[in-house]
Amino acid sequence: ADQNGGKKRKSRWADDEPKPVFQLPDFMKDFTGGMDMDPEIQALNARLMEISRILQSGQQLDDRPEGARSPSPDPIYDNMGTRINTREFRARERLNRERQEIISQIIKRNPAFKPPADYRPPKLQK
Amino acid sequence: PPAIGTTATKVLCLTQVVTEDELKDDEDYQDILEDMKIECGKFGSLVNVVIPRPNPTGEPAPGVGKVFLEYADVESAAKARGGLNGRKFGGNQVVAIFYPENKFNQGDYEG
Repeated sequence: ADQNGGKKRKSRWADDEPKPVFQLPDFMKDFTGGMDMDPEIQALNARLMEISRILQSGQQLDDRPEGARSPSPDPIYDNMGTRINTREFRARERLNRERQEIISQIIKRNPAFKPPADYRPPKLQK
Repeated sequence: PPAIGTTATKVLCLTQVVTEDELKDDEDYQDILEDMKIECGKFGSLVNVVIPRPNPTGEPAPGVGKVFLEYADVESAAKARGGLNGRKFGGNQVVAIFYPENKFNQGDYEG
């Protein structure tokens, strides 16, 4: 099974996941174990990973042809005169908002979930 | 009787952890077996690893896709369950459940 002449083959086991910041008491473990299998959470997680992948890939976010697009809002410029609400920018914003929303929902269902470092909890509406 | 997976036993079953295709290949199978022995032996005394393989005839074989780990004691199996459940193996998210010892000893991997 080892064709690299003694060099160690990489194990199929992924590196150990970082443990949650606090350890749950034993009797809770079955409970949270069951929650990770919650199909709703799995669906949210899947969408979250998809969004992260799109955002990190740097791919064109809006590849609809010119004619199929809806009208743009009025342009907004920053103080350097650069337009900031480009199609690309708005598409990215949209994905970011959805991402934050999904993270909020996961936290609601599983308070032990450790959100990514750049997650900002939504401001409470008055 | 209590549902499978909830009562702690010496036998841990990892479900949907390997694919039929991987198991058909002798080399892949040996690699998987080795990965299991090394990683799962970290939680205690691992006495047996069973990875059901598909029938060469193509007939459905029971337990294909699962990996069975028999430990010397329930404590090790429980520790392994805590350490392995949710980990990823070859991209698959591992689900670890306790498996009835009597079924395992009879070679019943249907689950």
